[in-house]
Amino acid sequence: MYYPDTIQKLIESFSKLPGIGPKSAERLALHVATKMKEEDALSFAKGLISVKRDLMHCSVCGNLTDKNPCSICRDSHRDRSVIAVVEEIKDLIAMEKMREYRGLYHVLNGVISPMNGIGPQDINIPSLLERLKNEEVKEIILATNTTIEGESTALYIAKLLENTDIKVTRIARGLPVGGGLEYADEVTLLKALEGRREIINNNK
Amino acid sequence: MEIKRLKLHSFRNYQELDISFNKKINIFIGNNAQGKTNLLESIYLLAISKSHKTYKDKELITFTEKFSRVGAELLKDDSVIRLEIIISPQGKKVFINDVEKRRISEYIGVFNVVMFAPEDLNIVKGDPNYRRKFIDVEIGQTSPIYIHELNQYNKILRERNEFLKLAQQTKKIDYHYLDVITEQLAKLGASITKKRATFIEKLNIYAKKLHNHISNFTEELDIKYQSNYQQQDISFDNILNLYKEYYQTDFHKATTQIGIQRDDIKFYINNVDASLYGSQGQQRTVALAVKLSLIDFIKEETSYYPIVLLDDVLSELDDQRQTQLLDCIKDKVQTFVTTTNISGIKEDLLKKADIFYIKDAKVYEREGDHYGEDK
Repeated sequence: MYYPDTIQKLIESFSKLPGIGPKSAERLALHVATKMKEEDALSFAKGLISVKRDLMHCSVCGNLTDKNPCSICRDSHRDRSVIAVVEEIKDLIAMEKMREYRGLYHVLNGVISPMNGIGPQDINIPSLLERLKNEEVKEIILATNTTIEGESTALYIAKLLENTDIKVTRIARGLPVGGGLEYADEVTLLKALEGRREIINNNK
Repeated sequence: MEIKRLKLHSFRNYQELDISFNKKINIFIGNNAQGKTNLLESIYLLAISKSHKTYKDKELITFTEKFSRVGAELLKDDSVIRLEIIISPQGKKVFINDVEKRRISEYIGVFNVVMFAPEDLNIVKGDPNYRRKFIDVEIGQTSPIYIHELNQYNKILRERNEFLKLAQQTKKIDYHYLDVITEQLAKLGASITKKRATFIEKLNIYAKKLHNHISNFTEELDIKYQSNYQQQDISFDNILNLYKEYYQTDFHKATTQIGIQRDDIKFYINNVDASLYGSQGQQRTVALAVKLSLIDFIKEETSYYPIVLLDDVLSELDDQRQTQLLDCIKDKVQTFVTTTNISGIKEDLLKKADIFYIKDAKVYEREGDHYGEDK
């Protein structure tokens, strides 16, 4: 080893993070060792421990929270009859930033993909079904990504709910708001065309 | 549609090249390993954004250099379009009129190419893989949606096969999930099959006519699409039911038994399978007719003629076939030809052409220039 053991360990820890290769890990570790103020390093370390010790997944929806159930699930002003199913916590945050959606969420924490060894039981699908048994839910909005895996997962959940009285919907895909047709790629444009809506029907 | 100027920088064995074209037919003459095919490859690259020889872009960069640049001035509808592709180990950038296009799909299609090389004999002679690749490249040139659907299909197919493998190992099968991915597969499979069938139908019309001429009206070519689904009615419901009939077989073999990944094309000459029973000469004629028919196909689909690239095949064709080729080009299609030997090429073809002599990655306009060095 060229570096002292402590630095070597820190390099290894950094390189476990997504998007950090061995070179970046080395740079980050050296930065912490030589340039970072001690108080900043301490607060960084505390933050790391705190997110692992004080945070948990909400036992109802799978959101990340410091109190169980999470603040969204506890909010009595929200519409408890609608659940939006999303892949990741960051998708839930994206929906919340919109400030229009007032229903509840269910975070799957992944998508079904046999290639990656992930089956329906490995993501939060069983807990969703359990939830639907116990709660009065009228609509499920499938808001997984429009990737192949996101689509398969949405269709799979829809299939499970086929013979219930719950309404199952899928978010629309198509043109971004404010975007011109000329900037859309062919596939997006095709989806927008397939999902077109009638404005006036004169042939009634 | 015409390439007026081609510029290479650190591309394959070319350090620096700037060459202008004034005629429809351009012939590159030189010994082997001098850089003739690399010129055609650079034109192919400018059209498709990929090489016809390798899927590793990095191989295109001159061995000792850091990046490679290929550019062209294209005359289209009386205006000049500048195209440029820069390849570095980090990736590839494409430009139209000096503006970078972030998506390759925005770049592809500015002009189309039809390439005919000795290995194209595999379209007739080789295994079905060659024929599927041929269909996919040619439909893809004019339909970005087709490429998207094909990628999606292949991805779902891999997921499905992995799922079947797991199901066999664990002896447990989640039919809900199998239904879902099968529905996705059937939807894409039906759409791709329809596009392939339409393509082969059009190809058959054009190629039949050409082949008839080349063979002096003695042979009748028929190209038939062999859809692995073997269904008259390529509707989603019909295809889905077919997949369901194969559930048990799929499960036993732990892989998807049917689908577009097993499609094929059959070539018949006077109702006899040319791949199995055709002579070498007959097979070559079929391959030539199929490739040349793409000229008319692309003209119909895009309303522009493609640029034709003939790699080391012209001098191997007899007079009859060379005449037919000239007929197809009809002074409308810009054509680039490579050959080691000028003597096999017809006189009236040579008269219409500009001839370039290639030696050691340099281009000379007169033969004397490169013989002069030996004196």
